[in-house]
Amino acid sequence: MTDPKPARTDADLGRTLADFSVTSEPGNERMAMETVAEAVKDLGISGENLERLKTAVAEATMNAMEHGNGYRPEVPVTVEVLASGGELTVRITDRGGSPVPVPDQEAPDLAAKLEGLQTPRGWGLFLIQNMVDEMNITGDSEHHTVELVMRLEGGEDAG
Amino acid sequence: MPAKYLEAEVRQEPGVAVIELRGEIDGFAEEALAAAYEEAEAESPETVLLDFEGVDYINSTGIALIVGLLARARAAKRRLVACNLSDHYVEIFNITRLSDFMGVYPNRESAMEEVSAS
Repeated sequence: MTDPKPARTDADLGRTLADFSVTSEPGNERMAMETVAEAVKDLGISGENLERLKTAVAEATMNAMEHGNGYRPEVPVTVEVLASGGELTVRITDRGGSPVPVPDQEAPDLAAKLEGLQTPRGWGLFLIQNMVDEMNITGDSEHHTVELVMRLEGGEDAG
Repeated sequence: MPAKYLEAEVRQEPGVAVIELRGEIDGFAEEALAAAYEEAEAESPETVLLDFEGVDYINSTGIALIVGLLARARAAKRRLVACNLSDHYVEIFNITRLSDFMGVYPNRESAMEEVSAS
């Protein structure tokens, strides 16, 4: 798990495998997850790594829909999937304004949650950080983008 | 993509209430999960076993629901254990430390053997 870094520019990234949007309604993170899984099927990501990627995409999309777009169906979350130089990058963008959420450096405190001292919620960003090689968050006054990076085995993008 | 809601069926065994789960554990699952847990508690079992064999998706909201059940079990001095999680969700239970607070078993047989022996 690494500290958040600025998102890569388009010049750094190679081919686009998918570019789509989902409406901000609960449950639509499943659609985003399955669409990304389909888009990367020729990259040799399988088994546990594929499940990790799917979970990270679902959680980032949920965050975007709920916290960025307030679950307003008319405000979409956009998802871009790019592959280059041995890396897969998934960018999930909402229309939320600043401030950019900063993930806690510490894991959620399960013991405190079990004692009722904290809400049982708050697992999303933590799960994402543990599912992918890098998570970068950027934003401006109108958008937030969560960028997920997974290194591909062999150091080359297949297909 | 239409949501696939959670189905939960409770089977009472001596000292153990088994909740058989099918579908997805996310925000839509709260009502079904709570109702099943309430039914499971009705016989005052020492242990409640969550069987995830029919579950193909758990998101962070689902994890929060399971944390809520675990808190409830601990408050009632009841054991909450799990079985039949996929490898991916075993990893998530480990990462979140849920597995530090609830037994995680590969299948129902091993779970029942362990809780019966205790």
